[in-house]
Amino acid sequence: MTERTTTWRMILVLIAVLGVWTGLCGRLVYLHLFPSQKLVEDSQGGHILKRELPVARGRIFDTHGHLLALDLPMKNVIADPTLTTNDQQKYDVALKLAQTLNLDPALILPRLETPRSRYKVIQKFVSVEITTNLAAQKLPGVFFEDASARRYPHGTFACQVLGFANLEGVGSAGVEQRFHDLLKGRPGLRIGEQDGKHREIYDRRGTEIEPQDGADVHLTLDMHVQHLVERALDEAMRVHQAKRAWCLVERVRTGEILAMAARPNFDPNDYRNADTNAIKNLAISHVYEPGSTFKLATVAAALDAGTVTADQIFDCESGKWLFRGRLLHDYHPAGRLTVADIIKKSSNIGAAKIALTLGEERLDQYLRAFGFGRRLGLDLPGEEGGILYPHRQWTALSISRIPMGHEVAVTALQLLNALCCVANDGHLMRPYVVARIEDAKGLVLRRGAPVELGQPIREDTARLMRKLLIRATEPGGTSTKACVAGYTVGGKTGTAVKFVNGQYDSRYNVASFCGFLPAEKPEIGLMVVVDEPQPLHTGGLVAAPIFSQIASNAVRCLQIPASATLLAGAAETTGGPL
Amino acid sequence: MSRFTFLRPLRRLDWSLVLAMFALLVGGILFIYSSSYRTAELPVSPLYLRQLRFALVGLAAFLALALLDYRRLRDYAWVIYLLGLLGLVLVLVPGVGKKMYGAVRWITFAGMQVQPSELAKLATILVLARFMSNPDRNPERFSYIALAFLIVLPAVVLILKEPDLSTASVLLAVTLIMLFAAGVPMRRFGALALLAVIIVGTLLGLLFLLPDWVPHLGYVKERLLVFFDPGRDPLKTGWNAIQSALAVGSGGLTGKGFLQGTQDALGYLPRTVAANDFIFPVIAEEVGFAGSAVLLSLFAVVLLAGIRAAAAAEDKMGRLLAVGLTGLLFCHVFVNIAMTIGLLPIMGIPLPLVSYGGTFVVGAMGALGLVQSVYVRRRLL
Repeated sequence: MTERTTTWRMILVLIAVLGVWTGLCGRLVYLHLFPSQKLVEDSQGGHILKRELPVARGRIFDTHGHLLALDLPMKNVIADPTLTTNDQQKYDVALKLAQTLNLDPALILPRLETPRSRYKVIQKFVSVEITTNLAAQKLPGVFFEDASARRYPHGTFACQVLGFANLEGVGSAGVEQRFHDLLKGRPGLRIGEQDGKHREIYDRRGTEIEPQDGADVHLTLDMHVQHLVERALDEAMRVHQAKRAWCLVERVRTGEILAMAARPNFDPNDYRNADTNAIKNLAISHVYEPGSTFKLATVAAALDAGTVTADQIFDCESGKWLFRGRLLHDYHPAGRLTVADIIKKSSNIGAAKIALTLGEERLDQYLRAFGFGRRLGLDLPGEEGGILYPHRQWTALSISRIPMGHEVAVTALQLLNALCCVANDGHLMRPYVVARIEDAKGLVLRRGAPVELGQPIREDTARLMRKLLIRATEPGGTSTKACVAGYTVGGKTGTAVKFVNGQYDSRYNVASFCGFLPAEKPEIGLMVVVDEPQPLHTGGLVAAPIFSQIASNAVRCLQIPASATLLAGAAETTGGPL
Repeated sequence: MSRFTFLRPLRRLDWSLVLAMFALLVGGILFIYSSSYRTAELPVSPLYLRQLRFALVGLAAFLALALLDYRRLRDYAWVIYLLGLLGLVLVLVPGVGKKMYGAVRWITFAGMQVQPSELAKLATILVLARFMSNPDRNPERFSYIALAFLIVLPAVVLILKEPDLSTASVLLAVTLIMLFAAGVPMRRFGALALLAVIIVGTLLGLLFLLPDWVPHLGYVKERLLVFFDPGRDPLKTGWNAIQSALAVGSGGLTGKGFLQGTQDALGYLPRTVAANDFIFPVIAEEVGFAGSAVLLSLFAVVLLAGIRAAAAAEDKMGRLLAVGLTGLLFCHVFVNIAMTIGLLPIMGIPLPLVSYGGTFVVGAMGALGLVQSVYVRRRLL
């Protein structure tokens, strides 16, 4: 090798070294002086710690402050399978978890055998007592997460009103859904910095927004009355082998709903296994043909318009009347009846003839004024408005069918509210279930107050109508089994034949009763509907006794003075009997 | 005075190299302090103090080797090489070798932990220099190359067994550089390059197609994949690469200031590697581009001094020794910096003189001492 070659090679080495150095410098210039936006963002994003601070969902109370729904602090039990090293250890951990959590070890073991995962849920929402016990056992790879679980201490109680909040804490039915925004509260926010091991650096904590607990909802529901209703419905379902049943109680003068329940029902603590039909609040969302209970609206309208008087006599055609080519039947055939007796005996033919005096247009107007065919604006989700066609779309037969509660569909809430309107001197109130919503500091965010929607009938009409409805519960009326010892009751039965498979089938009925008491000075209205009761199927035999059973106890819970006391009181103030 | 005549060669030392070496050592100790002063849980005495002690030992090695006439090593080259290989074998003996971070690379010798591969590298270069400078050997012949690789082979295989792929690769690269300086014809390099491509290609193919053919090299595959796609596993294997590039990038022009680096302080750069393999990002973050440019310049001075020594060497062995040792330093500096700034996959190669590590500092300074041994006995122009 020549000297020349050597020199050349050394120079080449030098050039190579310098070239490499230039390359390194270039990369350094690029990294240092022109850091890519993405790198900088990644760097900051990795350091910044953003954590939501958990918040407790608001509670739900009845009118007396009884707790109906609350958030309980719970723990999720999680396993990190990478921390259990051998099969024996995994088996031991699975066995101990299974014993403490009351699970099947065969279900836990496979979850510990997933080496690629570091997060396997063993069980969600475990009580703190159990997790304390678990923590004491120091099982390798088992850790706990805070979780807040929605609990409904009374189980199925008032389930359709309360609804439920799902596992993510989103209100998904009932009050929980309607007032989710207020109930959920506002989670706090912590923004700070974290180190390479994701631990917070405390002295670099920046923004800290305190969590704001959810507001508490106080319902108008009265737990005692609700309990009576729940019990009565359970019994009704059993005794009458009914398909469904629902009931609601409303305070006449304010529109407060005191109780509302339906069967079938569900346990909101276990909403995932609930039947969809059980979640439905039938009292406000089930639309059905009401049958005879609807006559109270027809008669009240005609009396208010003055087209009939209470003692005016109609020929009820001995139970069979050919109207516009179609026969109309009465369940209890009768000859000549006064308007008062048409209510008392619940004559379809009589109701149709009364409606004819009023005419289609005015009947339509009155029914709409009573709140039929539209939503009343109850503060719960799922309220239906029923079906009442505008009178221009009525058929020739409609004027004979609508008065007796066919060709029209309502919710129990609409019908009860119309009855309460009669009981409340003609003032139609808006029903409501939320008395007030208070935030954690006691500030009232929303207050339910009585709202008058209108006055479909005059006060004297209402008073007269009440007398007619009282007569229905007297001997010879359809509602005798609705009586309540010590109280005068006004009410109306309904037995609607259901429209099944394209025709009215008398084997399927909806039996209902709506009534109010004490009739002299009405306090509460109550409606009971039983769908497809067997073998008894009339409102008078099925629904009226349930009304009686609930009302007899409810008057004591609500401390409603007996009728005799009212009369005595009235006698004292007016100086004589009525 | 006459008693100290053996010190006379020191007057001909390359002082620019000495200054640069001191600057790098001091800088290294400062930033080792910066990277570890917060960690109370780490060893007996602070890392930077230990490094200071290592540097003093290294200084002794530097001076001793600079004074020692490299030509006298010619006769002992094979003995030294065999000793180096013995060290590598000892590492693999169970109970003697010490396992750290998944690889067996240390043995305990006289109460200290020694990394035999560092010494083996120097020994290999020494024996290669001796072999290649033998006037009976003709660089033009194929056997010259073949024998050179045969000499390196035992060392490479033993280091691979640790496993330490990067050190083994560095050793092969240094062999190539030395062959180049020894005057092997250029056409042979073409053939060598082709051979290298075929071998590396085959190995990579085996690595990816037949995983687990060598049980301990799975990490290599993972690091390669992560190099081409750092987002692939950002929290584990990709973590160091990403955080290191972030540290460098966040330094800006003048850095965040000494002891102010957050990537390091907050543990984004893992503390186990911040002081050694990843010392460069610590420096780059705290003193920015200005600092890393100074660092690169200092290394340039060191390497140029090596090339100067090679160019001025009195004989072929001196030149090859200087080229090999400088090439070794160059590979280390380049690979280490390149991997921390995302130009190469992550490899376990520390930064000479700066990174924490006893054997490594002593080895690097010993190498510079040998280079100076060549330089002080240079041809005077």
